[in-house]
Amino acid sequence: MLEVINAVCGYGGVTALQGISFEVKAGQLVALIGANGAGKSTTLRAISGLVPLRAGALRFDNEVLTGARPPRILKSGIAHCPEGRRVFPHMTVEENLDMGAYLRSDRSEVAADRDRIYGEFPRLAERRKQAAGTLSGGEQQMLAIGRALMSRPRLVMFDEPSLGLAPNIVERTFAIIRRIRDTGTTVLLVEQNAFAALDMCDHAYLLEGGRIVLSGTGAELIANPHVRKAYLGA
Amino acid sequence: MGELFQHLINTLVLGGTYALLGIGLTLIFGIMNVVNFTHGILYTFGAYVMFIVVQKFELNFFVALPLSIASGWALGALVELTLLRPLRGSDIDTTMLVMIGAWIAMQSATLWVWGGVAKSVPTPFPDAPLEIGPVSVSWLRLFVLVAAGALIVLTYILINRTRLGSAMRATFQDQDTAALMGVNVNLIYTSTFALGSSLAAAAGALLGPVYVVYPAMGDLAAVKAFAIVILGGLGNITGAVIGGFILALAEELGAGYISSGYRDAMGFLIIIAVLIFRPTGLFPRAERVG
Repeated sequence: MLEVINAVCGYGGVTALQGISFEVKAGQLVALIGANGAGKSTTLRAISGLVPLRAGALRFDNEVLTGARPPRILKSGIAHCPEGRRVFPHMTVEENLDMGAYLRSDRSEVAADRDRIYGEFPRLAERRKQAAGTLSGGEQQMLAIGRALMSRPRLVMFDEPSLGLAPNIVERTFAIIRRIRDTGTTVLLVEQNAFAALDMCDHAYLLEGGRIVLSGTGAELIANPHVRKAYLGA
Repeated sequence: MGELFQHLINTLVLGGTYALLGIGLTLIFGIMNVVNFTHGILYTFGAYVMFIVVQKFELNFFVALPLSIASGWALGALVELTLLRPLRGSDIDTTMLVMIGAWIAMQSATLWVWGGVAKSVPTPFPDAPLEIGPVSVSWLRLFVLVAAGALIVLTYILINRTRLGSAMRATFQDQDTAALMGVNVNLIYTSTFALGSSLAAAAGALLGPVYVVYPAMGDLAAVKAFAIVILGGLGNITGAVIGGFILALAEELGAGYISSGYRDAMGFLIIIAVLIFRPTGLFPRAERVG
């Protein structure tokens, strides 16, 4: 479904991705794990078009998206739920959700999708007129997820969804992400919590220093001695 | 007592246009972070377009006003596309220098094209003022007040109730995330600068006929706009409206009860006082746009 081919990119003089290739198959939950600074976030930002590729290619369902700007990426069906939630703090919960549907023109369908998200997250419904900046971290994460789904993506990318959340909220967030996969939306997950990510994914890639050094099913990576030692603390 | 009412009605007329100037600048300076020295020129430009359309093309005053606002939008868009877009991401000093250059160039162009002689814009309003008890107000000023009020409300609706407005607010709260929502961020920068510029042009188009039109008329207007933005808090539209009326009140009362020579000093006094006592503006906690 999504193919990243030899992607190179960086900021200024620093090369963050040294030519990575990987694939996300339709219907799967694919995890990208690695240490801080390994290039996980950069990979997602490159796919979204926020960071330009210096070399390499990007293909989504046979559509070449190399060099495309973020609006075109979103339009082709890839949504990106960014690290740190990044809700629009001075806009209401409802306005945030509507921003997720910014490119859609089917207003009644958008309203129906919004109601579905309110059904899923009743807390958001209670706070729909409240500024998003006043929500708790967990509520903001639900809002960020809901907002990403409002574009009706075929692939959603989550960047560190568990970051800074209380353990029970982390559990809940992972359950939601599994359910998104189970309802047919493909997921690309970037996560520092390696065990949780490997445990729930269908396929995983390990990034080190801007290179993919390992790939396999979640179970294979969990069993790998290097992964166990460096990332699972076993 | 009658004198006070007269000052208050004058405050409303002046304050409405000051609010337009202030909203325009708070969008550009407060939100886009561009120290916009062309704001005064856009004010001048709006007044000249008014003059030309009414005088040279002999078109109706009420047709000239929207044309003037639209021209301000177009000129603002042009400035953003040619001068600011190539500088996106550079520091505030660089854009400030470029905007000073643009200010000097555009003001000189005004002088070159239209000469330095002050012009007056003919208006369709009767000469006799409207008298309400001890207060008298010209029909033209009354129109300025109503038009400014309408434009303030329209701007408020545009920013808070439309798709473009949502995209603007999202962009200036979090540019990358707005892009991830599908917002064309470059287009939003251009639109915001154009909107701010069109409001400056609107203020000039409304006040030009009240006074006279000349190339340097925008210099003082620009200083006042900065005073209003500092008073109201950067990026705060409601603050800019209130700030506009406060400045107008200070000017009216200063001119009426102290000395008319102090009228234009009020803006500077307000900047100094606010920077000393409330450096974040009078309404820092009020809702910001971005």
